[in-house]
Amino acid sequence: MSILVVGLNHKSAPVEVREKLAFNANNISAALSLFLHKYQTAETVILSTCNRVEMYVSSLEGTLTVEDILSFLADFHKVAVDEFSPYMYHYKDDRTVNHLFFVTASLDSMVLGESQILSQVKEAYTTASMEESTGKVMNQLFQQALNVAKIVHTQTSIGKRKVSISSVAVEFAEKIFQNFTGKTVLVVGAGEMCELLLKHLYEEGARTIVVANRTFERAQEIANAFQGQAIKYELLGEYLANADIIISSTSAPHYVIHVDQVKEAIRHRRGNPMFLIDIAVPRDIEPEVANIDNVYLYNIDDLQSVVSQNIDERTREVEKCRIIVDKEVEHFMARLEEMKIEPAITLLRNHFHAIGKEELERLKPKLKNIPNDDWEQVVYAVERTINKLLHHPAKVAKQEAKNGGGYRYVEIIKKLFGTFHHTDHLQH
Amino acid sequence: MITLPHIPFIITIVLYSISSIWSIGYIAKPFVFNKKVATWSMMMGFFVHSGFLVFLGLESGNIPITNVYESFVSLLWCILFVYINLDYLYKLPSLDTFLMPVVTMLSIWALTFDGGDLFITISIPNFWLIAHIIPIFVGYAAFTISFSLSIMYLTQQRQLKHKLFGSLFNKLPSLEGIDKLMWKTISFGFPLLTLGLVFGAFWVRTQNILGEQWYLDYKVVLGLATWLIYAALLHMRLVSSFHGTKIACLTIAGFCLVFFTFIGTFFMGSKHAFQKMSEQTRKEILNIQ
Repeated sequence: MSILVVGLNHKSAPVEVREKLAFNANNISAALSLFLHKYQTAETVILSTCNRVEMYVSSLEGTLTVEDILSFLADFHKVAVDEFSPYMYHYKDDRTVNHLFFVTASLDSMVLGESQILSQVKEAYTTASMEESTGKVMNQLFQQALNVAKIVHTQTSIGKRKVSISSVAVEFAEKIFQNFTGKTVLVVGAGEMCELLLKHLYEEGARTIVVANRTFERAQEIANAFQGQAIKYELLGEYLANADIIISSTSAPHYVIHVDQVKEAIRHRRGNPMFLIDIAVPRDIEPEVANIDNVYLYNIDDLQSVVSQNIDERTREVEKCRIIVDKEVEHFMARLEEMKIEPAITLLRNHFHAIGKEELERLKPKLKNIPNDDWEQVVYAVERTINKLLHHPAKVAKQEAKNGGGYRYVEIIKKLFGTFHHTDHLQH
Repeated sequence: MITLPHIPFIITIVLYSISSIWSIGYIAKPFVFNKKVATWSMMMGFFVHSGFLVFLGLESGNIPITNVYESFVSLLWCILFVYINLDYLYKLPSLDTFLMPVVTMLSIWALTFDGGDLFITISIPNFWLIAHIIPIFVGYAAFTISFSLSIMYLTQQRQLKHKLFGSLFNKLPSLEGIDKLMWKTISFGFPLLTLGLVFGAFWVRTQNILGEQWYLDYKVVLGLATWLIYAALLHMRLVSSFHGTKIACLTIAGFCLVFFTFIGTFFMGSKHAFQKMSEQTRKEILNIQ
């Protein structure tokens, strides 16, 4: 039995190659059943996201090769193998397990520690199991991968700090305001960043949104998207005092919000704090505004530096995660070896019991008048003997299999006890 | 002077110290300092503290305020009592980090008053004394908590202003949240303080405890000043709906006055219902009345 992964990701391949091999919700099921049709004894899961396409395959006695998978991908997507094969990586057995655990725990993601990949892996696995393309090995592997990802996320701070400008800004806003319901957000300018931030705040509950822009139509457009109110740019000053959060991103070459205006606003607000985010370059808000009591001003550099600090923090955590993953891979491989030997032991047990039954059947006619109770005692004694005989070797074989070489023990069992009845399934 | 009967209070102080260290450590190294240690040592400390007060009360047959030391211990108990209830009601994250060190310091300070020679001159089954003391103590406790909250507010405010985003920043709640709680504790403490002062005034008039010129007693004057400062705070908040840094600073000033009124006045010579007396006379007073 072997476990293979063949795939490419954002590091190994440019988007032009990735998109050629990408699966979508519509064709992934077809691909899975086609693959199963071709390789009936295999198990497979296809993970396809915008950053990676990977095929996890487990096959009996390693009959399936990397080339088989590559040619399957080529056939399915109708692309020549050499167009994408230079960008592909492939791993085997424990390195496959290691890779999947790494991917699921988001240690291989573009944004380290992001949690989206976890749900993507979950979805890939669910799709595969619905198509019945997973079996004992893939089920164990993917369930364990999801488990490991959870362990990594709870035991390390890999996913704790925010790593995007807008999420960091919202985090700061949350340190000033208890919640955003009833708070007024004033948006000055209508950049893309502005919209992203606004979306974030809206999701957190901000509902009173006022948009001011030089071109009124654009202001209205954004305001409509968030059920807000568009105002004339000239009226900006009047709305300042009502605004709890101000996001500014105009392309004006000069300051748009001045110290006097904010001073006046804060006087009206009677010390209620104001949070100003200036994401424009050149800056929109006079920097001296930051000196006013109860006013908190952040510019793009402030936010960016927190983002990069947080990214560094995540990078520092990778080593900790790697240790957890390594340990879990080891556990999984041991379990896998144990899994290999289990059917052999079951068959051995059946084989012994079959022999016992055979002998008992031969004995019964010879003991014609034996009372039922006594006969049951005989049957019981035989069964107990068989179980006792098997107990120790089964335990030792399982234990030894855990340390690797489960297959060796299967072979030994085969050799020692000859071919059993129905032994065809032994390899499974 | 540390005598055997005060060992429970020393144990309490040790437990409060552990709670302080762990609640501060939790901010910096949450993996090393478990929050539960902070909470449980505080609760155990409070338990021993309560037991100690019962012991003091049984010993003197009075509520435990028969001297300055006992009053101090009782006040500390009130602070913890109010805090535990508030925490249960409002789930105040990280407030213990700010409150427990204050409580620990005050407890150690309280210990230095043990063996003082000022004793209470009245017996407790006196309605006025209870009506005067209990509201004032609970009010003071609320003010102590509002003081911790304002330190917390100013810390968070400073971090936001100076862009210091460490682990303390992450663990503290929002400015608005702290502000609201500060307000709640003050508006809870103020009516109690008022009630206590009014009862005190009645009492002093009816029983002539502080002499003819009772209104010139330092403690009375400062008590009034405390009342005024909190009244001003409430006024600013209610009428001018004032928020933010200024309120936090005023709250700190208010608390300083509270503590000066409570302890400082004894250094200035105020007796305020306490008198220097020998052990003999003290026993006589407690037994006879």
